[in-house]
Amino acid sequence: MTERYLILSDGTAYKGQAFGSPATTSGTIVFNTSVTGYQEIITDPIYHNQIIVFTTPTIGAVGVNHESYESILPTAKGVVVREVAEVSTNRQRSLSLDQFLRVHNIPGISGIDTRQLVRKLRTHNGLNASIVDVADEHAFDQLNAIVLTNQQVSQVATPRPYANPGMGHNIVVMDFGLKSGILRELAVRDANVTVVPYTTTADDILNLDPDGIILSSGPGDPRDLGKDILTTIKTLETRVPLLGIGLGHELFALANGATIQRLPVAHQGMNHPIREIITNQIMYAAQAEEYGVDRDSINRDQLLITHIDLIDGSIQGLRHRDYPAFSVQFFPDAAPGPWEATQVFDDFIELTGIRGEQH
Amino acid sequence: MAKEVVDAMAMQRALTRITYEIIERNRGIGNLVLIGVKTRGVYLADRIASRLHQLEDTVVPVGQLDVSGYRDDIANSEPTTKAAISNLNTSVTDKKVVLVDDVLFTGRTIRAAMDAIMDLGRPNSINLAVLVDRGHRELPIRADFVGKNIPTAQNERIQVSVNEVDGKDSVEIITGKD
Repeated sequence: MTERYLILSDGTAYKGQAFGSPATTSGTIVFNTSVTGYQEIITDPIYHNQIIVFTTPTIGAVGVNHESYESILPTAKGVVVREVAEVSTNRQRSLSLDQFLRVHNIPGISGIDTRQLVRKLRTHNGLNASIVDVADEHAFDQLNAIVLTNQQVSQVATPRPYANPGMGHNIVVMDFGLKSGILRELAVRDANVTVVPYTTTADDILNLDPDGIILSSGPGDPRDLGKDILTTIKTLETRVPLLGIGLGHELFALANGATIQRLPVAHQGMNHPIREIITNQIMYAAQAEEYGVDRDSINRDQLLITHIDLIDGSIQGLRHRDYPAFSVQFFPDAAPGPWEATQVFDDFIELTGIRGEQH
Repeated sequence: MAKEVVDAMAMQRALTRITYEIIERNRGIGNLVLIGVKTRGVYLADRIASRLHQLEDTVVPVGQLDVSGYRDDIANSEPTTKAAISNLNTSVTDKKVVLVDDVLFTGRTIRAAMDAIMDLGRPNSINLAVLVDRGHRELPIRADFVGKNIPTAQNERIQVSVNEVDGKDSVEIITGKD
């Protein structure tokens, strides 16, 4: 196999073996501790401009199948693994991971000591990295010269509205770079869905007569999206039941006066117990967090804290005191992730149903 | 024949949602009093109170209400002299009372419950929370917080089971002889 290098913006280089696309690539390097779900993770638009390190020692053993795409075109920049499985077996498998990455022009590198790499990434947040053929001075110069866009949402979100018809409640999804799991869970509940660009005004959304509104997950820093969106959310939350997920949760918090901070260590995985405060029950869900709501900034007269991460204490859920509007930092769509978190969608649909009947 | 229409998980979720709606409607939980209608309404009221405690770190008083002395649909019922509300260590006067029952059917129980509360004082307001609204009202009463609307036929029965007395959480529709 061809030797390639993973180089980091702090000057270190790791030698490994190439798989996937032979292209040269650069992006922010992040690690994900999920044991399963690599296909969903690689195709999730939140990884736009990012190189993903998987801590699970072997990746690729079940290939790639048509049911597990979280977007049509993956926008991740690279995949770093300890070992890539040469043989993949799964009855639904249609491609190997290697073939899949070639098709989408995403380079991979294997044979990396991911344990050592993750130790570094835990203390050096937000490093950039490249996967290159030669780790020379020129490659490092290139890496240090790259400027990654902070307009990730506009790169991955839909520029045009589209419908995903159903016979049930009328749900409008504001697309900040949504993963398919959100639409899948709404389809399971037979919702009549309209996905709109994140720049859509409150008036245009309300003209669609929604029973409920979802602020989707998406990539990047919510503070880069501008104040207009917060004004839109502030209007919508008083009118229609609202659910924020991931980036949508962060925007919901910002719209209600809380502040967002970059986490000291990004957390991506599904091994953290999350406590639902009201029932004191524990659940697990997929999480991918580089930013979090600053607990001290939350106005308790306006927002209730509903979920807490028991490992790092981060805010995992909020709810408005006066309106049927709530949000979760974690991903409740179980793609990948434990099914128990999907009850968030049941709660949301139930809420839209009750309001719908009162009209 | 019994058919389960609400399972344990759905019942938990319904009570959680009702709790959030109580906070929403009352703009907080200051001055709130929960009164559960015996038997199962008391346990449901306790569960809502424990949720409010988890969320707000405040203890909301919970009373137990026995409406048997106030009913109009039980023949030969003796007028009762014992206090209908027990376990409540506060007055209801000027409080926001949330009445909690398992099933809303004819509305006669709730009418009796309101009379019993009014005999004790003059609340600021009375709201009604029920786990199940099965329709067929005989009085102009409606619930403010509903766990689940279950349209039923007159000859069907709704059986609510709660863990504390029945060993399980469920709502079943029972048709015919069981």
